[in-house]
Amino acid sequence: MLLQVTHHTRYDYQPAVETAQHVAYLQPLQHAGQNLLSHTLTIHPQPAQQRNTLDVYGNTRSFFSLQVPHPVLEVQAMSIVSTSAHALPESEQPWEQLRDRLRYQAHTPFEAASEFVFASPFVPRRQEFAGYARPSFGAGASVLDVAVDLMERIHTDFIYESESTQINTPALQALEQRKGVCQDFAHIMLAGLRSMGLPARYVSGYLLTQPAPGEVKLVGSDASHAWVSVYVGDLPEGQRWVDLDPTNNRWGWFAPGVDYVTVATGRDFGDVSPLRGVIHGGASHTLTVGVTVEDIRGDNHQSAPAAEATQTQSQSQGGSQSQSQGAII
Amino acid sequence: MVAGFARLGAAWRGTGLACKFRAPGAPCAGILKPVNSSLDPLAVNSPATDADVLSQAHLCMAAAGHFDELRAAVPPKAGGPNSAGPESAINSVAARADFTGAWGQFFANMEASTSAELDSRAASLQRQIRDNGVTYNVYADAEGPQRPWSLDLFPLVVDAPSWQHIEAGVQQRMRLLEAVMADVYGPQTFLAQGLLPPALVHGHPGYLRAMAGVRPVGGRHLHVTAFDLARGPDGNWWVVGQRCQAPSGLGYLLENRLAVSRQFPQAFQALKVQRLASTYRALMDSLKAHSPAGADAHIALLTPGPYNETYFEHAYLARYLGLSLVEGSDLIVRDERLFLKTLRGLVPVHGLLKRVDDQYLDPLELRPDSTLGVPGLLQAIRAGNVLVANAPGSAFLESPALLGFLPALAQHALGEDLRLPALPTWWCGERSAMEDALSRLREHTIKPTYPGSAIHTSFESVIGNTLGQTALDAWAGRIMRQSEDHTVQAYMPLSQMPTWHSAGPGQPGAMVARSVLLRVFAVSDGQDAAGRPRWRVLPGGLARVAGTSADIASMQRGGSSADVWALTEGEVDTTTLLPAALTPAVLAQRKRLVTSRAAENLYWLGRYTERSENTARLAALTLDCLGGEEQSSAPLLQWLSQMAVANTLVLPGTPSAVQARRVFERTLVASLASAEGATSVGFNVRALKMTAATVRERLSQEHWHTIVRAEETLFHQSARLAAQGDYAPAQALRVLGDLSDQLAAITGAQTDRMTRDDGWRLLSIGRHVERLHFLASALARSFETGAVDTDGGFEALLTLFDSTITFHAQYQQSRDIAALTDLLVLDRDNPRSLGWVAHTLRGRLAKLALSPAGELSSMSLQVPNPDSWDLAQLCETPEGEPSAPALRNLLDDLSECAFAVSEDISTTYFTHSGQTKQSVGT
Repeated sequence: MLLQVTHHTRYDYQPAVETAQHVAYLQPLQHAGQNLLSHTLTIHPQPAQQRNTLDVYGNTRSFFSLQVPHPVLEVQAMSIVSTSAHALPESEQPWEQLRDRLRYQAHTPFEAASEFVFASPFVPRRQEFAGYARPSFGAGASVLDVAVDLMERIHTDFIYESESTQINTPALQALEQRKGVCQDFAHIMLAGLRSMGLPARYVSGYLLTQPAPGEVKLVGSDASHAWVSVYVGDLPEGQRWVDLDPTNNRWGWFAPGVDYVTVATGRDFGDVSPLRGVIHGGASHTLTVGVTVEDIRGDNHQSAPAAEATQTQSQSQGGSQSQSQGAII
Repeated sequence: MVAGFARLGAAWRGTGLACKFRAPGAPCAGILKPVNSSLDPLAVNSPATDADVLSQAHLCMAAAGHFDELRAAVPPKAGGPNSAGPESAINSVAARADFTGAWGQFFANMEASTSAELDSRAASLQRQIRDNGVTYNVYADAEGPQRPWSLDLFPLVVDAPSWQHIEAGVQQRMRLLEAVMADVYGPQTFLAQGLLPPALVHGHPGYLRAMAGVRPVGGRHLHVTAFDLARGPDGNWWVVGQRCQAPSGLGYLLENRLAVSRQFPQAFQALKVQRLASTYRALMDSLKAHSPAGADAHIALLTPGPYNETYFEHAYLARYLGLSLVEGSDLIVRDERLFLKTLRGLVPVHGLLKRVDDQYLDPLELRPDSTLGVPGLLQAIRAGNVLVANAPGSAFLESPALLGFLPALAQHALGEDLRLPALPTWWCGERSAMEDALSRLREHTIKPTYPGSAIHTSFESVIGNTLGQTALDAWAGRIMRQSEDHTVQAYMPLSQMPTWHSAGPGQPGAMVARSVLLRVFAVSDGQDAAGRPRWRVLPGGLARVAGTSADIASMQRGGSSADVWALTEGEVDTTTLLPAALTPAVLAQRKRLVTSRAAENLYWLGRYTERSENTARLAALTLDCLGGEEQSSAPLLQWLSQMAVANTLVLPGTPSAVQARRVFERTLVASLASAEGATSVGFNVRALKMTAATVRERLSQEHWHTIVRAEETLFHQSARLAAQGDYAPAQALRVLGDLSDQLAAITGAQTDRMTRDDGWRLLSIGRHVERLHFLASALARSFETGAVDTDGGFEALLTLFDSTITFHAQYQQSRDIAALTDLLVLDRDNPRSLGWVAHTLRGRLAKLALSPAGELSSMSLQVPNPDSWDLAQLCETPEGEPSAPALRNLLDDLSECAFAVSEDISTTYFTHSGQTKQSVGT
């Protein structure tokens, strides 16, 4: 598929922000199932300094700083990727075998994937996650089977509710409520897999959505998306991560499907949040985010304008603040 | 751990006051396992000239099972089965006199023979600590976890052979730790070869992915590291733990040294105690040499701020080393370079000695809620433009679990055995180690692998022998379930040293033995001939002395400290770091570095002082008018209501005095200084106090006390009256009257008791900006509402401008707009006239730093020039138009210019975000 993603973010500050520094994770990755054809990042006002670097996981992060007072910040990322379909991976590796292989023993070889077994800031180590995950982990079942089963259970057990959680909602709270958004489902699934000793990472990206039959797809009606990637130890070297989307109950090799766009992978949301920053000034702000994913080779790329998602946030006072924009699906 | 945040600020501004408290590492100990060479104490018979103190010393014995520092031996357990061994064959009276050579010498040169003499020295020592506290602990009266520093009279004496052993062992460990850092943030071969468990690196919150693959500028990660050592019953020193990310103690121990050496000058000379200064100098030289600017580097000490409990050590150390003491908000990153914001522009900073924990360093990439760091700092570090000591990311080295892996790593990386062993330690994440550890729980200590981590199981360390069987079983269960989070370490009784306990007035003090833990410091010391990093061990350290019990757990509660005397067999190094005579260059430098933070706080101190005065006067005026016998006219009530809302004496939506006079009055009184959510006068006075606290060191004692009293009195009286249900306008007027008196005293201190430097100029500018806005808008509203045209309104205006007496002296009972304009707008002798305020403001702005000499700056030109104001023109009213349009326009201009000047000052001097006015570097 040939997919075009437009991710538009706008902050309106009251009063104007005096100085700001931001980091964006908005450039899609290159991988076996996805080819990045073009990417542009447009920022208003013009940053005083901007620099793109790769982070420790190979994602592209873009640092930029603004040194003049500005009442509005606009960041627009426009990317075109081509995605290709892959067969589902085949693996019989029992999950206990992978778990034991990654457990530390002096002088035994080390696998880099073991990094994704550990707790991370949004995915703490708690008994509750293991308790929820355990029924999926039958003795001798394969890594793939337990992961798919866990994904299906989360899809069934949880209610998708867009206003039910904040960006900083701990995964534990979402687990107790049995509801949340894609980011919560991803964190809960990560916590479940990791608590049983399997490496899993967080994937941020987008999903092409289809308008209801007979309706026109609206510009900005999409949103950032998040899912998980699990490590399957007996797949060919370099192709061991398999993606699962508990929100939509879909999975596949390299991506859950050709209608997915992968932007970045990390331990959890905190490693790859699309846009975060520290501002000086600006006591309150209004955030407007609009994402549009279009299949530009198909017939369906006629889009009409839609109201963009807006959220208003008021901080008590000026000074320096951090802000972070979340995945909203 | 962040204990809390407080925020302050009116609609225009906020100040984050972060508070961070870092508990010292939990000390711990282990069982005896004699490995390293045993010491050879020189036993001497002390001269029997000192009956009183010496006989006390003879009675001062370590508890059974603990090494006795005085005698270099372990006293036997009374009648216990273990008392038969050769090393513990210490027997009653005779053995008690066998002080080691060093301690014998100490007593011989103590120059005190009676308890009374030692009591008086202990008192003098306490006095000195207290006096120094007054000097540098300027925030002693602010809320915060402050407590007096506790220091024992006696030093811990470490003889030369022992010290040499410690020194060599610590230097070797530094070479190893640096190798671990270089590998973990480089090729990660130790992980790949299974020498280091990933759980202790990737799984540790202290491992910073933002630093992966980064080689710090100068090539070295570690510049200052602390090691906690314990001396076992066998006389050997054991490593208990290490502190890398922001070790505390380098300032306290200096303070201890100065205080204790003064009490025992002769013993200090006779024992050949090695001096400390040259090690601090080596550290400074090394930091500069590693920094991108070399010998000319500007190095600063980064502190979490006055609310950190060790702040006074930061201030002390910064002054001793000649570093700028800075908080995160003083610094800014531009183009991946670090700068200090000062009144004269941005000054480059090339190195930071940091006392802020790693996670708080950069809110952009690390903890986003940190107000202690500098956004963009990690980018500057990665670009090699700033040296940070230590390089961020060393916190994983502090896990006790790591100690167990260091011997094998030393073999692998250095080809050496560790000279200074660590207490035997088992990380339970390794199955075989866990099984081993589970069988030893009863006589060992259980510690968290990730102390303080929010995403792991964290707990207080426990000693197995203090637990019953049920508790032990419960711990075993926890360890099996979450094995990686638990570390088991051998338990060892700590050695005990003599301490002096003063009993109080009239009672003689006593010498008692107390358990001690020794913190030593390794600092960066350039490179050796082969270009490898070299470390120097500070000859001395910080001894931490346990409270009453020999139990380790009590160390954190009621513990004390002691000076550490490391003896030398060679020359005593007499380098000094005491400042040389101040040169003009040094003086110029000091003048230059008025930080933007101090300047901003002074500016706001001026604004809040003026705002407090204005709102107090407005509130009193309003109550007067409402309570007067004559019914005030509708325009006057309208004007007062508008002014009350504009100055937040009442919240918008409160019925105006025209609609509901009594409701308005009651609301105004109740809001003056309500306990919660004050927006009125109380808010301004409280903000005045909080702003003053941030520039406390610039204010005279009287100035500060008046501010504190003003705030206390206002809130106390208001609360009392409100509680009695008796807060009538008459009482409120008395409260406001008292407040006015105190504000007048504060104003006096500001105009007459402060040095008129740029900082003071900003304070004065703050006052005049505030006054200009307040008076101009008050006058403008009096025209809009028509209040100025009524008798009551005319008088009220004069009162608000504090100009009643002058007006009536000049114009008697006139109600003429021209007369009013002449006095309140044009008069250059009346400090409340707008002309005077505008003129003064222009003058102060012109004199500020960065202003071109001899001409008015663009900022001062923004203020309308009173020279061009003309009374006739201002008062002219064309036929059929509202009165005095020119005057109203001027008033609007003046209000607007107050905002514009405030913005400009902020961008030019505080945030340095002005595009054209910014000046970078010197």
